[in-house]
Amino acid sequence: MNAQVDSVGDIRRTPSTHPLAGQSMTGADIVVQVLADEGLDVLFGYSGGAILPVYDAVFRYNADHAADDGSEPLPLIVPANEQGACFMAAGYARASGRVGAALVTSGPGATNAVTPVRDCMADSIPLVVICGQVPTKSIGTDAFQEAPISTIMGSCAKHVFLVTDASTLEATLRTAFHIARSGRPGPVVVDIPKDVQNAPLIFDGSRELPVRGYRTRLRAVESATIADTECARFIALLNRSRRPLIYAGGGIVAAGAADALRDFAHTFGIPVVTTLMGIGGFDTTDPLALNMLGMHGAAYANYAMDDCDLVLALGARFDDRVVGVPDKFAPKARAIAQIDIDPAEIGKVKAVDWHHVGSLDTSLIRLTAYGKRHGFRPDYSAWREHVTALKATHPMNFRRDGEAIQPCAVIEAINRITDGRAIISTGVGQHQMWAAQYFDFREPRHWLTSGSMGTMGFGLPAAIGAQFARRDRVVIDIDGDASIRMNIGELETVTTYGLPVKVVVLNNSGDGMVRQWQKLFFKGRFSASDKSLHKKDFVKAAQADGFEWAQRLDDPARIDATIADFLAFDGPAFLEVVIDPDAGVYPMVGPGATYAEMITGEWIASRHAPATPAEAEPTGMF
Amino acid sequence: MRHLVSMLLQNEAGELARVAGLFAARGYNIESLTVAATPDVDVSRLTLVVFGDEAVIDQIVKQSAKLVDVIEIGELTAREHVERELLVVRFDAPEAAADTCLARFGARLLHRSGTQSVMEYTGNAAEVDDFLDALRQRGEIVDHARSGIAAIERPQIPAGATAQALL
Repeated sequence: MNAQVDSVGDIRRTPSTHPLAGQSMTGADIVVQVLADEGLDVLFGYSGGAILPVYDAVFRYNADHAADDGSEPLPLIVPANEQGACFMAAGYARASGRVGAALVTSGPGATNAVTPVRDCMADSIPLVVICGQVPTKSIGTDAFQEAPISTIMGSCAKHVFLVTDASTLEATLRTAFHIARSGRPGPVVVDIPKDVQNAPLIFDGSRELPVRGYRTRLRAVESATIADTECARFIALLNRSRRPLIYAGGGIVAAGAADALRDFAHTFGIPVVTTLMGIGGFDTTDPLALNMLGMHGAAYANYAMDDCDLVLALGARFDDRVVGVPDKFAPKARAIAQIDIDPAEIGKVKAVDWHHVGSLDTSLIRLTAYGKRHGFRPDYSAWREHVTALKATHPMNFRRDGEAIQPCAVIEAINRITDGRAIISTGVGQHQMWAAQYFDFREPRHWLTSGSMGTMGFGLPAAIGAQFARRDRVVIDIDGDASIRMNIGELETVTTYGLPVKVVVLNNSGDGMVRQWQKLFFKGRFSASDKSLHKKDFVKAAQADGFEWAQRLDDPARIDATIADFLAFDGPAFLEVVIDPDAGVYPMVGPGATYAEMITGEWIASRHAPATPAEAEPTGMF
Repeated sequence: MRHLVSMLLQNEAGELARVAGLFAARGYNIESLTVAATPDVDVSRLTLVVFGDEAVIDQIVKQSAKLVDVIEIGELTAREHVERELLVVRFDAPEAAADTCLARFGARLLHRSGTQSVMEYTGNAAEVDDFLDALRQRGEIVDHARSGIAAIERPQIPAGATAQALL
């Protein structure tokens, strides 16, 4: 089937200036050409019958375009399974800010991609997953390795395309990248039947699908500037406020607005708390930084939110891990201002008094400039002294004695060496929270974590993808013994590709976060969370997968020396740390509790009477 | 509260399923859902009647607006609009009883065979309910099918102008 020169609905009717315009290519060749044109320098994927034509096209492309040193322009990295491939692409996207791409086959290959696709949707990460599909005539016949991907991914992804008309393949794929990276980023799945991959077509070079509703809304949001009257209203809010607090979320990172945020915060002298996803959006070593707030946020961050009279929500969505009970959140705030690129997030949880839908970067630049131009020089020094005192009185702390290794001591030791400049990925659970609490981050896109979905097994593949994106940085996977097992097959992927990723497993023989909840709310009934009878020897497992540097650390006196040696090793390294199984994550704001009821534990000072956690109701929030 | 949502949707395979899935997944109570072609062959109009409070419906509309294939979406409930629904019904009753209903409501007789009349009626949802009630009182409804609500905005009457009654 030949491509029509002027397919229905395509935009860009002016002739393409692409050097390969007009060339005969199969659908598979076109897929690879579009991937190359989109600036990808690595692909992740696992092969299979339905995607073989594209894999062959990648092979031929690399052979035809090999560099002088023999290196491939589009290396295709093969993981242990497709979930790993897509998490690698996601780690690549999170670390680089570019769209990550994964290629999987039909049926089980595609369904294995569901978890990472949903993960990227939940955390707004730009990803394109190309799935092979059975030939168009076989769709709906329960063919070999067939799965209804457009239905399955329809509710998980930002958008799904099923390409049944080969003449739209090129435009569809290019549009998929556009949708993934524009507006609020997200994952796009392109399901390509095998006969479409094999179809003889003519390459155009620039065609895209109209998707006019999306483009209209996108244009409106991208061109939205804050009117002078609205700038004035915003400044008036700041002027009336004595204790303003910036609540910065993942949107700052997605927008590339870290510099604009620093400028805004410094210009008016406003302290900053970040969400889990916002970590790195503001330099944690900055004097205005109050670190993370919320369920496991720093006590001083939560108290600052309790004390503030104005909340500036920047690319943050008032998630339940931060807000708890909406009515009781920021109880002294007389006003809330919110900026977000997604209109559906404005006022979703808390009513706001001022808002703007648009790009955070240009918005913050505009507000800063407006304030400066109108001589707005507020004095929040009393408030800054207050939060500085909060930081000094309720600092993060943990047990510093005892024979067992404390996990936070390990994080601190690593942080002393990496100094906020390493890329850190995590699994999910206690180790994730300790990493969020105790690492410094000077730049965005150095903190890679599954926030909204909280997917265990994220850390290792994400670290792999991140290392491909940032060869110049140390990449460390801080993982848990339970989390790493979920995608432990990817240990071999690290050594196969010679990536100098550093893997740390904080081993407390079980599901630590689940146990912590069971201790607090279920009277210590450890249902299915205790793995102390575990047979796994992690060090042997790492060695079996090719790690030349693989050690177990269980002596607190050897922490600094071992970690220094670990980080200095030139190549992939694996460190299992046996930690105190009773270590808990503190502070903790329990489900349905207010910040005033925060449990700070034994080593962090609380400013309220200690709260007694009630046994959780069966239908209560978790 | 009853809300009427109207949207223009790109005609893509699976898009209707996606919109319906968005609503179903969040447990919204849909009373009626109609979708049909528009003069633009690429575009369908989808009309939904859904129950919920203001805040809930506001969220639905905003979430639907994020779907790539949604071209336009609006809530018609508060705006001047016209709602119509088509009913076809097979009614078993003596001719005279059937004819009385036809005449009183302005319904159309499509087919008659013995005591069974197939009728067509259009009106807003309440009027269709009333028509069915009237039939039930005079005979037996053997079978019926309702099309669901089709709705469009009515032109806004500019201030100062007199309203013109429409037949």
